[in-house]
Amino acid sequence: MIAMNEASELKLAWKGFFVATLIFGAAHAAAEPSAAEASKPVTECFESRENYTAVSRTEDAVPQYGYPNIKCSKTTGAVLWYGDPFDGTIPMGEMPEVKDDTHGNFNNAVVKPREPQLAYFNMGPDGCKTCHNGQTVPYPKDRKPRLLSMHQDIVENSLELQHGRGAVWCLDCHSAKNRNKLINRRGEEISFNQPQRICGECHGEKYIDWRAGVHGKRAGSWASHEGKKRWWVCTECHNPHTVQRNRFNPIKPEPAPPLPRGMKSAAHERMHE
Amino acid sequence: MNKAFSFAKDVSTYAIRGGNLYHAWLLMLSFFILVGSYTAYRQLTEGLILIGATDQITLEMFFANFVFTAHVAAAAVLVVAPGYFYHRQDMKELAVIGEIVAMVFVATGIVFILFHMGRPDRLLHMIPGIGFMNFPSSMLVYDTIVLNVYLYLNLIGVLYILYKKYMGTFDSKYLARWFTPIVYLAIAWGPLIHVVTAFVLGSNARVPSWSTAVLPFAFLSMAGASGPSLIVMIFLLARKYTKLQIGDSVINLLTTIIAWSLGLLMLVFAAEFFTVLYSSTEHADSLKFNMFGRNGLNDYVPWFWGTIGTLVGCFVALLFPQVRRSYNRWLPMVCFTVFLAVLVEKPMILVFPAFSPSPLGEYTVYHVTLIEFMNVLFIWAACFLALTLIVKGAIGILTGEVRYHERAAAGILQD
Amino acid sequence: MSEKHVDESKEAAEVIASRRDFLKYVCTSGAAALVAAPGPAEAAVEAANPDADVTVAEFFQGHFVLMSDAEKKAAIARLEKRYTAKYGKKTTVSDKEAPDGVLFGYALDISKCIGCRRCVHACVEENNQSRNGTVIQWIQVMKIPRGNVSFSADELDKGYPEQSRFGNYGVQVGGNAYHPAGLSTEGAQSYYQDETVPDKDFFYMPVQCQQCEKPPCVKACPVRATFRDHAGVVLIDYNWCIGCRMCQLACPYHARRFNWGEPNLPAEDMNPKTHYFGNRPRMKGVMEKCTFCVQRTREGRNPACLEACPVGARKFGNLLDPESDVRKVLATKRVFRFREEFGTYPKFFYYIG
Repeated sequence: MIAMNEASELKLAWKGFFVATLIFGAAHAAAEPSAAEASKPVTECFESRENYTAVSRTEDAVPQYGYPNIKCSKTTGAVLWYGDPFDGTIPMGEMPEVKDDTHGNFNNAVVKPREPQLAYFNMGPDGCKTCHNGQTVPYPKDRKPRLLSMHQDIVENSLELQHGRGAVWCLDCHSAKNRNKLINRRGEEISFNQPQRICGECHGEKYIDWRAGVHGKRAGSWASHEGKKRWWVCTECHNPHTVQRNRFNPIKPEPAPPLPRGMKSAAHERMHE
Repeated sequence: MNKAFSFAKDVSTYAIRGGNLYHAWLLMLSFFILVGSYTAYRQLTEGLILIGATDQITLEMFFANFVFTAHVAAAAVLVVAPGYFYHRQDMKELAVIGEIVAMVFVATGIVFILFHMGRPDRLLHMIPGIGFMNFPSSMLVYDTIVLNVYLYLNLIGVLYILYKKYMGTFDSKYLARWFTPIVYLAIAWGPLIHVVTAFVLGSNARVPSWSTAVLPFAFLSMAGASGPSLIVMIFLLARKYTKLQIGDSVINLLTTIIAWSLGLLMLVFAAEFFTVLYSSTEHADSLKFNMFGRNGLNDYVPWFWGTIGTLVGCFVALLFPQVRRSYNRWLPMVCFTVFLAVLVEKPMILVFPAFSPSPLGEYTVYHVTLIEFMNVLFIWAACFLALTLIVKGAIGILTGEVRYHERAAAGILQD
Repeated sequence: MSEKHVDESKEAAEVIASRRDFLKYVCTSGAAALVAAPGPAEAAVEAANPDADVTVAEFFQGHFVLMSDAEKKAAIARLEKRYTAKYGKKTTVSDKEAPDGVLFGYALDISKCIGCRRCVHACVEENNQSRNGTVIQWIQVMKIPRGNVSFSADELDKGYPEQSRFGNYGVQVGGNAYHPAGLSTEGAQSYYQDETVPDKDFFYMPVQCQQCEKPPCVKACPVRATFRDHAGVVLIDYNWCIGCRMCQLACPYHARRFNWGEPNLPAEDMNPKTHYFGNRPRMKGVMEKCTFCVQRTREGRNPACLEACPVGARKFGNLLDPESDVRKVLATKRVFRFREEFGTYPKFFYYIG
């Protein structure tokens, strides 16, 4: 029985390694993984969901304990454990003050910058402006919805943008003149690293919860006022372009616990099948 | 001191004397002890991974058998009490056999608990002074105390009576002043160990099928059935193969006790099953699992119906005078069946199914491993070996075959 | 005070030593082999193999909470040396006390949990549980039917077959109510192996030690190897536990896990930053369970399961601090405790966010 469990775990591990190689590294995919490689830690991982935040493992990121910065699942490639939760983070930046008890405490708040995670942002030296400079791609004349000829991988059909049920269009959030920035209702340009300041304009209740620490995720210190915390920002979990169709991409779960000794199957658990 | 030496020597030489059948019995027990020594060594060195227990079903065969030993040990008072409380002279002579059974079974129960422990090497942590007991709250602490006290109470009682009789100075009218309180205390202590053992299980609110007030009563009635069954078998064997005189009146009293303990047990079961099944809340889940299985997982079902059916059958059989009077055929058979059925009831109805569903709704079936089973046999073999030898020696003393002779004792001293 | 303590412990050590000699004597005579056998046997193993689990010094060590500072230091030095040698990396064993004025609490949003089990495996990475063969996981995720698959018109006639004059849909005859649904462990699945989660017809509920204010396990332990620290976390002295499993029996949350065999912890996966009551490598035959990552939380950091959760369903903090995440959850969300009817007062809350 134990041998069987080991075998199935090993199988899962192999499968996970395969998936990871397929998704993340062309170089890895080319090489047939040997047994020794399979026991090696997964180095290319993702936080939250695949394609949202990619992270790579660096050994000895915390020399005091010989910790890597992260440890990842061998079956799915998801980040499971942070040796250094502040690895690759920057200060959260200026946050508007909210004058009630839900103000939130951003003194020691850090975030992982979103800009390096955006595929188009990193295509040229000037970010999005490499193309959206007014000449290569002219600035749009107005904010009327129209069919896009580009970026279908982000928004499949721009006339049916899956956000806001028709009330919102691209340029309500993306600055028309400066594509490297987002823009809020008052016309202030906001960095891609601070999406919460855009999202919070409409999603006030969630924004307040997030500021208070009730919604969303934080790593680092548990103390409310002192101690450094990494805050996860909206777009690390939510994709604003697809929220209506698909609130979250389903994810592959980590393996189930082994059955209790002596048990052959858990079929009796499934009452509906 | 030479008196004590000759006591030990005379009793033990008498105890190992016997016919071929007797020696075959001793040999068989020794065989299981031999095999069991190996499996016990494996378990003690490699850990409980070798037995079938899991985080879902954390009590194993050892604990189930421990509860059974508590049954038998507690029930031994049923032999002692009639002699001392009701002054039945026929029983008073034989009370010492009951005390021997209590003593041996309590000791066996303690050994079962040692096998249950994950770290038997750390048992010293329970001894006040070296470690400490979580006294007011832990039920296992109470159980440890009452079991050990019961063991020593019976040990003192047995040694006192046997030694006095061996020396020929025993007079039931002039017992030592300290002895009678000890006997009465031991009689009261028998049900006590049993109730406390029931509380060790019943204190776990998370196991609904134990967390019921009828549990001590179910235990006591099963004790009343299984313990006297064993003692009836011992008495029947003794009066057939030895010179010990045991009147039919003694057997009849014990048979009545067995029958009505079983009757009481039927009532307790019926009350519990009705209470649980009528409302059919989550408290009924493990009983339903035991009775009918769940989604194809029905390993316990035949055990449940088999055991309950056997107990009912034995109860009905004992209502017939023909069965009760059939001292050489039906009665020992029924007694053996009762003994076995109550033994099987422990793991297959009381302990294992109670863990399903687990607090998180898991249904699990226990799988006994070979090593575990051999260890259980090992302990039982040791128990019955000790029981046989001590009872045999005691019979020698009671019949007067083993007696103190000053000259023989002097001989020992010269050697 | 401490001097007196040292004296007492010396005396106790002498008592133990004399008791030990006595036991050895008895053991050689073979009478009490059962009680005494494992001690010398393991000592012999230890002599043959320096990495063996039980050193003689550890065998004589008392309950950690009652040790003097010097004894604690010695015990920790012993462990650090042994772990460092065994796992081939510098291992630290902390005995840092919990901060004052803190009561640790946890909140978990069951409306957000998607059952991905990352918390389960993060916990294994952090807390040095046994893997491969003798798998121990401190968190178990239940997959619970929502109920929307339970009802169908086909089943209206199921149930008791009798026609009654009230028709076929009396209170006790309907067939649709026979499916488990909602917050009941009836029908919960713990071994689901879906391709993707969440399954739309189910919700998920991870369960780990609930850190009860009235823990039944602490009550049941015969040697007080498990106890509640002043920050409200229930801990175990692995070196004092006798392996009787009464705590596992008492726990209404299935939170405790037993080391049935020698734990299997590969050196490369071992987390070298450990705490005496937390994630230091365990030995066979002792109980273990979630400690809210005592090695992290006593130093101010969040537990590992919280940091792994991809949906931010887990909140941790100081229940005495109204500004903490947990207290804000308790103040603003609908909260319940698992198996509240047991009267254990867990400091682990579930909420609907």
